[in-house]
Amino acid sequence: MITLIAKKELKETFRDGRFRITAIIVFALLIASVFVSKSYYESINAQHEAARKNARNIWEGQGKKNPHSAAHYGTYAFKPKYPMALIDNGVDKYAGVSIYLEAHARNQAQYMAAQDQTALARFGDLTPDFILLFIIPLFIILNGFHAFTRERESGTLKLLQSQGVPGWKLALGKWLGLFIPVLLVVLPVYVLATLFLSNLNNYGEFSLAALTGLFVIYLVYYAVFTNLTLLVSSLFKKSSLAFVALLVLWMVACLATPKLSTNLAQKLYSYPTQLEFEEQIAQAKSSGLNGHEPWSDAAKKLEAETLKQYGVDSISQLPFNWDGFLMQKGDEHEAQIYFEHYDLLKKTNAKQSQVYQYTSALSPFLPTRFLSMALCRTDYSSHWAFADAAEKYRLLLVGKMNGDMVDNSKTGDWDYLADEKLWTSVPEFEYTPPTYASVLSENKGNISLLALWLMGTFALVIFQVNKMKVVS
Amino acid sequence: MIQHQFKYEWLQLFRERWVLALLVIFLGVMTYAVYNGNQKVNTRKAAIEKAKADMQKIDAKYAGQIDSISRGLSPAPERWLDPRSLSVYGQRAPRVVSMDAQPLAFIAVGQSDLFTHYVKPKLYGEAYALGFSELANPVQLLFGTFDLAFVCIYLLPLLIIAFSYNLLSQEKESGVFRLTMAQPISLYGWLFSRTVLRFIIIAIVLLVSLVIAMLVNGVLATAIANGFLIVYFFLLLYAFFWFLVSLLINLFGKSSGQNAVALVSVWVALVLLLPSIISQTANTLYPVPSRINMINEYRVAEAKAEKEAAKMLKTYYRDHPELAPKDSTENNQYSFWLEYFATIDVLKQAVSPILNEYDEAIAQQQTWVDKLGIFSPAIVLQSALNDQAGTAPAHYASYREQVIQFADTWKAYFMPRMFRNESMKPEDLPGLPQFEYEPKVHSTWVNNLTMLTAYVLITVLLSVVLFNFQKHEQMLTS
Repeated sequence: MITLIAKKELKETFRDGRFRITAIIVFALLIASVFVSKSYYESINAQHEAARKNARNIWEGQGKKNPHSAAHYGTYAFKPKYPMALIDNGVDKYAGVSIYLEAHARNQAQYMAAQDQTALARFGDLTPDFILLFIIPLFIILNGFHAFTRERESGTLKLLQSQGVPGWKLALGKWLGLFIPVLLVVLPVYVLATLFLSNLNNYGEFSLAALTGLFVIYLVYYAVFTNLTLLVSSLFKKSSLAFVALLVLWMVACLATPKLSTNLAQKLYSYPTQLEFEEQIAQAKSSGLNGHEPWSDAAKKLEAETLKQYGVDSISQLPFNWDGFLMQKGDEHEAQIYFEHYDLLKKTNAKQSQVYQYTSALSPFLPTRFLSMALCRTDYSSHWAFADAAEKYRLLLVGKMNGDMVDNSKTGDWDYLADEKLWTSVPEFEYTPPTYASVLSENKGNISLLALWLMGTFALVIFQVNKMKVVS
Repeated sequence: MIQHQFKYEWLQLFRERWVLALLVIFLGVMTYAVYNGNQKVNTRKAAIEKAKADMQKIDAKYAGQIDSISRGLSPAPERWLDPRSLSVYGQRAPRVVSMDAQPLAFIAVGQSDLFTHYVKPKLYGEAYALGFSELANPVQLLFGTFDLAFVCIYLLPLLIIAFSYNLLSQEKESGVFRLTMAQPISLYGWLFSRTVLRFIIIAIVLLVSLVIAMLVNGVLATAIANGFLIVYFFLLLYAFFWFLVSLLINLFGKSSGQNAVALVSVWVALVLLLPSIISQTANTLYPVPSRINMINEYRVAEAKAEKEAAKMLKTYYRDHPELAPKDSTENNQYSFWLEYFATIDVLKQAVSPILNEYDEAIAQQQTWVDKLGIFSPAIVLQSALNDQAGTAPAHYASYREQVIQFADTWKAYFMPRMFRNESMKPEDLPGLPQFEYEPKVHSTWVNNLTMLTAYVLITVLLSVVLFNFQKHEQMLTS
């Protein structure tokens, strides 16, 4: 019986000219979006690759210099792009791509792409995630809003029920009839994406498991929308009313709730402004150890301690370059201050994420959105992971520079110069993103929310369709 | 007859509970949107005010110090902290160069969440290399703000579709249509006046909810004094356009359900798809050169300039003889700075090709968007609202320009004085350059108004044409 109903639904759907047109449009948009974003990424990637090499050349070719001056001169860390960013660009557009690494300061990623685009960018870009997240749910609604209302309007619902079809069978048949067309649109895209992404050059490693995971997440998302569509269709008497209700539902889930949650999260837990943040750090730094202020109280205290430790009376008697040592200690102290302040931002972000989890009750869009970005390595956590790795690398670089000064020059000898040998001895910045296992465990909340949506809406549909039988 | 119709329409609409519910929700949504927009503006204003207050504190502190040192009341601090030193003042007491919110800023967040609204360009460093980024959670930027612009661009058309998708079809489906047609009235005139009447109802609802929303948030008076009527007029045209689209779709004589689907498809195409397609093609066709390239060039030039600073200073003196020291044996306390000043132009020259390339790409993107934007009223309305709110990309570009100019003014104040080896005196303080943001952007409201009016006229025309080509029998039968 289930297959019979499903077959009938499918036949009707495929016969419908509107379905064919919308299916073709959605499919074409998906394919087009992949190609458009590919060419965009390729040009961006080429630029970044050139900039990365350039930055390294500048670092290595800076000529003879005092190592600490070299640490001041610094270099750049570039955020790598991963193949699946082609599918979901996530927050990449709104988070910078490069971090300036220098002595004494932890900088934020600079130059977000959105700043260099027109106001239209805020409507969203034609990337696959846009189609997958917004348009396909609408496609499901367009195909299924009259699943039950049409039967009611034409009187066939009574006929069906008089044949003694159990509610759940009816529901499942309708469900398959609505879900299979979506599968038919998305499956080829998945296959094409696999072929396409695994053959990309210069995009880092590609994981089939992650892509499959992404595919499954989107299928669950579509299953939720299928359920919601059937549920609403069974609740209303008129097709047009069911359609309006579904449209409102889509709008609330996909458009309004993300924005509302954003405003709520910001209201409850807000970030300081850029300058406030910088001033807080400057304030914290002002009282502490600073390599460039050997006269400060903190430096004098360190001096006394060090002299005592080595059992000498003056810094010139120390077996190493005191200036370099002080620089390194100052940098370590400042790094700690940065760590604490950035940690505050992270904590604020964690609280904001909590808000999104609560509002996910209003919208299956949110958990899907976050999971999709996470698997594509374009979410905010990925950005943090990169920023932390860059900071680690900065400390390594600065430490190496100060260390060279400590070991190979004498206190007060600011004319000491290091050369290319030292610059090239600093390894290039290599970034390994967190494993997918840790990505998944970080997103446990989103996974369970999406699963809850799936099971909850399934239960509601079955319950409602069963009840419908008793009433009419 | 019109009066009759109006009353009938009114009764018919408001007898349906869901219409009333929808309107109440709309009022709530509007109020919340205005609240959100206003909240953002207040945060922005508060941040600027605090920065300015801090600046005044530093000024007062330095003024006090300069005064007491010059009168010999307190000893001079170390050189790098002495406010009498021009370099200390120029570097440690920068002006707050702020982009003040326009009176209607609350209607559209626009680009305002991407950029900082105040910077402090110092004596050292180049303003064109400033990032202008605001600290923000990128997820929030991705999702955007629930502001009035969002409500009007995205939700208002949906409300109108819900109000009008069954303009004709419902009459046919309920059988009233034949009765109406038995009256001696023109079919098109009847339909059109029906559309206009519903539009008037929405126009009133829109006005009332806007006024209430602004009243609740305490921005009504400023809004009315600063071009709220133009904004309302934009919204009316946009709303009327959507009613006319609805009329057009109804004229095809299909069922209510089919109308609803068709209308939503139009909405998706005009509001969701077209803008994203145009934006994406703009990025792909005119990629903006990475700013990192600019920074790399700058660093190379800077390193070179540092090495040759002494030589550059000599050349600089040749080009600016008025700045050259009269007594070459005199030691200038700002010698480090003078070498830096001498390199500024060289650095600028090194990066200006990339800066130009960058500006050009942005301009090309904007031209492309402006050209293709005429295909979507949503794009036109967005641009119109951002323009009125002072949050369009053009405003931020202009602000950036003004910052760069002011940074030059700031430097120009100190440079000649430092070349003359002078110090800061108490009487100099009131003469320090001050910054005042001017929204210099050429408003696009005439353009936007023309465009929105054109949409309305074209859809009216289309509906007339369609009506005359349509077989009336088909419209009469359900």
